[in-house]
Amino acid sequence: MGTFEQMLATPPSWLDASGPTSNVVLSTRVRLARNLRGVAFPARADRAGLERVRDRILAAASAGNYLAGALVLIMDESSQSQRQILVERHLTGRGFAEDGHGRAVVIGDRELVSVVINEEDHLRLASLRSGLQPMDAWRLVDRIDAELEQNLHYAYSSDWGYLTSCPTNVGTGMRVSVLIHLVGLVRRDRIAQVLGSISKLGLSVRGFYGEKSTALGGFFQISNQMTLGQSEDDIAYTVERVAGQLVTLELEARSELAEKGGRKVEDEVHRAFGILTSARIISSDETMALCSSLRFGISEGFIDSVDLATVNRLLVSTQPGHLKCFDARDPGPEQRDRMRADLIRRELASGSGA
Amino acid sequence: MICDECGRPAAIRFVEMVDGEMRLMRLCDECASARGIGLSLTPLAGPLVSILMGFLEEVGAEEPAELQGPVCLGCGLSYKDFRRTGKLGCADCYTSFEDELKPLIRRIHGSTRHTGGIPSEASEDVESIREARHLKLELEKAVRHEEYERAAELRDRIRSLESTPRKEDDDGDV
Ligand SMILES: [Zn+2]
Ligand SMILES: [Zn+2]
Repeated sequence: MGTFEQMLATPPSWLDASGPTSNVVLSTRVRLARNLRGVAFPARADRAGLERVRDRILAAASAGNYLAGALVLIMDESSQSQRQILVERHLTGRGFAEDGHGRAVVIGDRELVSVVINEEDHLRLASLRSGLQPMDAWRLVDRIDAELEQNLHYAYSSDWGYLTSCPTNVGTGMRVSVLIHLVGLVRRDRIAQVLGSISKLGLSVRGFYGEKSTALGGFFQISNQMTLGQSEDDIAYTVERVAGQLVTLELEARSELAEKGGRKVEDEVHRAFGILTSARIISSDETMALCSSLRFGISEGFIDSVDLATVNRLLVSTQPGHLKCFDARDPGPEQRDRMRADLIRRELASGSGA
Repeated sequence: MICDECGRPAAIRFVEMVDGEMRLMRLCDECASARGIGLSLTPLAGPLVSILMGFLEEVGAEEPAELQGPVCLGCGLSYKDFRRTGKLGCADCYTSFEDELKPLIRRIHGSTRHTGGIPSEASEDVESIREARHLKLELEKAVRHEEYERAAELRDRIRSLESTPRKEDDDGDV
């Protein structure tokens, strides 16, 4: 069984830019919400009940092929900084990291699959893949789900499907989210129109870390809104199709930007690269914005001394929780901005063809 | 009715005097006995509690039932509480609040029928439920067309499907 430190030292596979259309789509996540039959949902269970649920799910996970050697984190025993790192690595939501008894996370090799226990539902099984691949991610979680089901009995009704704590997840319990980089559409001022039509197709849009505010650097999360009334294949296919259309629109916008902007756009990209490789103090927001330019520059062929995977990894490793883990004491915002600049220079110096 | 102390289903209601003010309390068996009241009433507490309980029936009558809405028998959650938190308490909430949830779920998903995956252990049951539903539609049609022989045949098939014993839930800890 891996340790938390080993997990931290190994970059998650979803950032490695190996998946389809990785220059636009960073990653795809498919998660299934499930609850055990005959047991109150987490919000209405007592501590002993939550711990029983946790132990049953952990036993079922370790009995299967996919999660047998996985890292198990018991939240009651984890530090604040470990929790923050889970949020920054998109493994759990912010609320989960805050408190609550009987919570645990099972994390598979290179964070390809994970099980979050006793968040809003008893378990949430997720697969996180590089690039745009909802179908593959869905098939993987489906296999693990079938394996878990041999040892767990789920709350299910023939009318409503899988029963969840919140009715917004009932039915398939399935949420497909695509983390997509739409810098071209933002710069060409077409983003509002494009995202507007997305919501008409039954998909919702949020920022990089799920917040509702404007997405920094043009990073958005697109996911299905409805979980009931469609098959899992249909949900995965819909997200794949719509995200695929977004990729086409984004690539068009990027080449227009590169053509029309000419030398100016190229200059902008190199300036961004210059700041990232030279700065001594840099904020989180500035990092996001410059990494966005850099990703665009790599994708359009302006920059070839650094690869997409390196930039992707920076988006996560420069977050406050990750920086804190280099130093046992909380460095505070000013010191953190210095540490961030140091880290970026280090990574970009060694970040070609990693 | 939910325990004011721990949020589990409450078994007892009584009025407590706090700083000269009467306060309505609802407690579960465990929290009640932790306070020395409940099922094993001490001789001293006994009469006092029952007097207060008697008083409470009147207090309770003033609390309009429609304010609380329906309450889930599985976990004690009231529909009103669900509207506040947005979270259901247990699988039974889906049946307890079926009338209220149906329009809500239709608004969210545009549908009220699951057409996705089925747990392998439930698939037999679900299949027979679906089959019975399908046959019932055919039965209605047969009756409408006055095909009584076919209707009788369909009725027998529906009966046999619905009388198939369901698998027992083997989870002890409810
Ligand atoms: Zn209680
Ligand atoms: Zn309930």
